[in-house]
Amino acid sequence: MKPPPAPKWWLDLGLMAAAFVVLPFVMPGGSLDLNPLYFQRLPFHAGFIDLGTTVLAFSLFAVGFNLLFGHSGELSFGHAMFFAIGSYATALYTKGFTVYIGTSPLHHDPVSNLWIALILSLGLAALWAWILARLIVPRSSGIYYAMITLAFAQVIFFVAFRWSDLTGGEDGIQAISRPQLPGLPPDWMQSGTNMYVFAAVAALIAIAVNYWIVHSPFGSVLHAIRENKQRARFLGYDVNRYRVNAFVLSALFPAVGGWLWVYFIQAINPDAASVDYSGRVVMMSLLGGIHAFIGPLLGAFVYWDLQNSVSQVTQYWPAAIGLVFVVFVLAAPDGIAGVFEVLRRYGIKMTMRRTVEPADETDATTGVGS
Amino acid sequence: MLHQIGDQFINGLTLGMLYILVALGLNIILGLMGVINFSHGSFFMLGAYVAYTLQSHIGFWPGIFCAALIIGAFGMLFESSLIRPLYKRIPEYTLLLTYGAALIFEQVVRRIWGDIAVRTQTPDYLSGSVSFAGFEVPIYKDVFLVGITIVILTGVWLLINKTNIGMIIRAGTRDAEMVRVLGINMPLVFTFVFGIGSFMAALAGALAAPVYAIIPTLGSQWIVLTFVIVIVGGIGSFWGAVVGGLIIGVVSSLMELVPVIGPLSIELSGFVIMAIILLIRPRGIFGVEGLFE
Repeated sequence: MKPPPAPKWWLDLGLMAAAFVVLPFVMPGGSLDLNPLYFQRLPFHAGFIDLGTTVLAFSLFAVGFNLLFGHSGELSFGHAMFFAIGSYATALYTKGFTVYIGTSPLHHDPVSNLWIALILSLGLAALWAWILARLIVPRSSGIYYAMITLAFAQVIFFVAFRWSDLTGGEDGIQAISRPQLPGLPPDWMQSGTNMYVFAAVAALIAIAVNYWIVHSPFGSVLHAIRENKQRARFLGYDVNRYRVNAFVLSALFPAVGGWLWVYFIQAINPDAASVDYSGRVVMMSLLGGIHAFIGPLLGAFVYWDLQNSVSQVTQYWPAAIGLVFVVFVLAAPDGIAGVFEVLRRYGIKMTMRRTVEPADETDATTGVGS
Repeated sequence: MLHQIGDQFINGLTLGMLYILVALGLNIILGLMGVINFSHGSFFMLGAYVAYTLQSHIGFWPGIFCAALIIGAFGMLFESSLIRPLYKRIPEYTLLLTYGAALIFEQVVRRIWGDIAVRTQTPDYLSGSVSFAGFEVPIYKDVFLVGITIVILTGVWLLINKTNIGMIIRAGTRDAEMVRVLGINMPLVFTFVFGIGSFMAALAGALAAPVYAIIPTLGSQWIVLTFVIVIVGGIGSFWGAVVGGLIIGVVSSLMELVPVIGPLSIELSGFVIMAIILLIRPRGIFGVEGLFE
């Protein structure tokens, strides 16, 4: 039996880069979309490219989530907390704030430096993830894990909701200015297209890092833990340490997503940490396919496509998304990528049957294959 | 000040009673089948709305019990048609499925009853209040609601501890596979228990409808609190749900009286309790080690 071909990173990431170039054109209302009704009904009047930027921010959110669910087999139902931490860190750093702790004021002037904002987002998300992981990981797994992560995400939600001095409460923070890039005109980021280009480059780098993690020896250990925790432990791996590290790493990508998202929509409110957002990213990953690398990205694209189209037709659009999701959970748990995989295998089987009949037979008798 | 504390304590007790009804159903289902039913909050909300509609036709008490029965039956249908195919897979998938279903239920409720809060009317003999030890206690909210909950809890306790089906449930919570091998029709028991759980959630909703404003997002608000109660109390434990519900209900009510940080952290208090419990008793107060891990 031949070993499976080694993943070609340049092919996968190259395809991803090509997809990012094509993406804005295939969103509903994009210039390649032939349905004129779509174009008229766009909610984002600025145009299709903004929807593309949204997909990019959320695909980072989803690849982070999937590092846990798809690759370590642990369902976190509260990943929106890291997205919110990244968003709020960036928003507060850029916009400035004054809070009173007791009677002494703590003041921060507005600063427009996107790198420090990124470092803050990553740092705070990693810190909170590390504290949580130390608390949760040794004490829970399986369904317990999902419930506890959901509950802790609500902590972030209520802090954002209630601490109005800092976070603006229910209304959140508005009018956050987009940053300037060195060497480019100060208003370069104001254009939607440039924002998309910036987001695409940032997303591609982050996704390359994610790809590297997944295909590294560390990623292999995570796969081993997903398949059988006990066996991984017997092989000498410190399973809980790997689980803590996986949790912290998976928190970083949503934080980058939040960082991009704030610069893009220039506003943030507590919804970013809500059950709704946590659920969305779960749905995206599952719709795309949790066991394929491309899955979460594909899912983010399909989700926003679906939401954008259905919300034109009815205000009850979450029901339609819920219905699609339920059908996928029941009938295609490996998502769209899984469906393609099944079709591909079927295609290979058909070709083999036509061309190399004997090889197929030996496979059947020895029971090796598939 | 003492008076205020007493008032808030009684408020918390009432809220805690409703929490217990919702959390107990979720906890029994979770303990027996390993299903986290995200739709449980939706059943609570649906119970309130169905009771609201029925009560204008058939009266207050029949409305409440018919609503609970309808949702209970609906829960059995839901379990046997949608959740049953997922038992072969890892338990996370049932959470995902019921999450999707909860999204649908919320929109269905919006479509039928609208976004505006509804509130049911109690009959005349239950409105008003009685004086008790210097407190003005509303009859319906703090006397009937608490009384009825205690009656129902007693019934559930008897069902679990003194009947044959209860014996199956208790054994199944330890090891459902073994019970099935011994010749018990477990799918039927699962469906029955799911029905009981949905019945209790809907009953809590119908009972809460005169006191708390009923809105379509109520389901998702309550489900998270219910999770916290189950984590605090311990998965699969009757007394866990009872003690957890009371603690969360009373503490979050008393928080309102704490100066400065109190009103800001009513919701947060439950999560702080949860974090402390996780540190000192990872499986919850009455939890058993090794269940669903």
